[in-house]
Amino acid sequence: MSSEGADVAAPVVDVQGDRRWMDLHEQFVADSMNKEPDVLFVGDSLIERLQYSIVWSEFFEPLHCLNFGIGGDTTQNVLWRLENGEIDNIKPKVVVVLVGTNNHEHTAEAVVKGIEAIALHIRSKQPSAHIIVLAIPPRGKNDNPLRAKLSKINELLKDKISAIPDAEFFDPKAELIQPDGTIDRSDLGDFLHLTPQGYRKYCKPLADKLDELIVVED
Amino acid sequence: MVLSQRQKEELNKAIADYLRSNGFENSLEEFTKEAKIDGDLEKKHAGLLEKKWTSVIRLQKKVMDLESKLNETEREFQSGGPTRERRSAKEWIPRPPEKYCLTGHRSPITRVAFHPVYSLMVSSSEDATIKVWDYETGDFERTLKGHTNAVQDISFDHTGKYLASCSADMSIRLWDFQTYECIKTLQGHDHNVSSVNFLPSGDYLVSCSRDKTIKLWEVATGYCTKTFQGHREWVRMVKPNPDGSLLASASNDQTVRVWVVATKECKLELREHDHVVECVAWAPESAHSTLNEATGAEITNNMDGLEVKKGARSGPFLVSGSRDKTVKIWDISTEVCIMTLHGHDNWVRGVLFHPGGRYIISAADDKTLRIWDYKNKRSMKTLEAHEHFVTCLDFHRSAPYVISGSVDLTIKVWECR
Repeated sequence: MSSEGADVAAPVVDVQGDRRWMDLHEQFVADSMNKEPDVLFVGDSLIERLQYSIVWSEFFEPLHCLNFGIGGDTTQNVLWRLENGEIDNIKPKVVVVLVGTNNHEHTAEAVVKGIEAIALHIRSKQPSAHIIVLAIPPRGKNDNPLRAKLSKINELLKDKISAIPDAEFFDPKAELIQPDGTIDRSDLGDFLHLTPQGYRKYCKPLADKLDELIVVED
Repeated sequence: MVLSQRQKEELNKAIADYLRSNGFENSLEEFTKEAKIDGDLEKKHAGLLEKKWTSVIRLQKKVMDLESKLNETEREFQSGGPTRERRSAKEWIPRPPEKYCLTGHRSPITRVAFHPVYSLMVSSSEDATIKVWDYETGDFERTLKGHTNAVQDISFDHTGKYLASCSADMSIRLWDFQTYECIKTLQGHDHNVSSVNFLPSGDYLVSCSRDKTIKLWEVATGYCTKTFQGHREWVRMVKPNPDGSLLASASNDQTVRVWVVATKECKLELREHDHVVECVAWAPESAHSTLNEATGAEITNNMDGLEVKKGARSGPFLVSGSRDKTVKIWDISTEVCIMTLHGHDNWVRGVLFHPGGRYIISAADDKTLRIWDYKNKRSMKTLEAHEHFVTCLDFHRSAPYVISGSVDLTIKVWECR
């Protein structure tokens, strides 16, 4: 694992050859030209799949959101998208970031740097937006080195993110790990991605927080 | 009509029986020969022709009775029983469920509009198309393609011969609604064009844009003849008053402004909404008496028996809807907000006076349509209209229909009762 490079913006290399990633990015840029979201969600598949869950229509849709999540994205990919037009034409009140679980090449410290770079970039482009960096949920049925790395990232993010003005690290404390240390498939169907029930646990505290933030703004 | 062999034989035998029982012996003899009737007439053929003759009429009458009964029941089912008296055109309001739910657009619906003459309506969408529908039959008619980005607004001239559309592609297009061809493309705005309307005379168009301006266009030449500047942000909607001398506009700068068309002067700036003002509409003449009642003007007779309105407002009046979730009514002559209607739970996206003048109807991101009895300052009916934000609505000027469009990609036709 490399201890650097997670904070260097890079587009996805189109190894599959269908240009999906770039097409999606261009669609997001086009959306940002015409829409006026109050909340922007940006990140990997955990963000992307949220928009197809029931909690999205229940909690988030009424808040006027855009979802710029792409499955498989690493911190470098998200940073590249944000540097290439996705947040140039919108003025969201809140930006929610969840990324890092796909950075398999990087150490916890490197991933933290990557996420920090994303938050700083958002800070510079969107000076009036409140930034929420979400804790990366655990993965794998039983305890494993990746889980340990993710909890280390979350631990380190707390201080790094709170040092950025009007930004916060937010851990929903969704208790996705059972008392016996296993993860239940009713929460994370493939021991990585959240199910509708998993999203409900993970997102309810966030929804309450957003309601508060938006109401105060109004 | 084709009879089977068996039916033919039966008919022939029935005729033979008729001839015999009525004493037409010669005819019977000839007929039996010609029709090659063999064998005896059975008992079952006795009186068969007469029976059929009368039963057809009896059945016909029965069918007609049943049909009228069915019609009556259908009417009852829709208007909620014969006891509830039929509402007049002045008071009819849209009733659930919707008459039609029209699908076909591939992105959110941005605006819907009734044709002023035919039973047609048009819808515009972020999918860059305009679609034409028959609201009486629910049929899809055709798609108008030309814009290269989200179509934001559509508007007919008073004859219905022309349709104007505007788009995020920064252009306004003029369509011949008889040939469905785009006859002009007007360029001049520097950003997303949010709203377009014909002036009542039909020879000018007015548009507004995210470039913060309002522009007046001569239809015949396609030239922009006036630009109204003053709004500090995106202008969302612009509507001319009934005589075309004034314009009302709504903007992201949270103001509603009224402009004098002749001089380009901003006559007034109404500043009371706490958020983006999405929509604005002029009150029709028919609303003036209710507006005066609502604001407590006393109408009395003086010594000569003439009506005197104490504290009466002369208008004109405007209604506006905002992301602050409220609907506000404004008296332009005194420059004050005379009423604020609370009830919607999210951004208000469309607002109109009922053609009868007594109600206001609004569409909002809380997925509902609301009908406001503004005289009593109350929301009198809420329709759970769509599965996502309701972005727009239109009320037919004379027929009992309301249409709504939504981010859920559907258009709904509501019948009024």
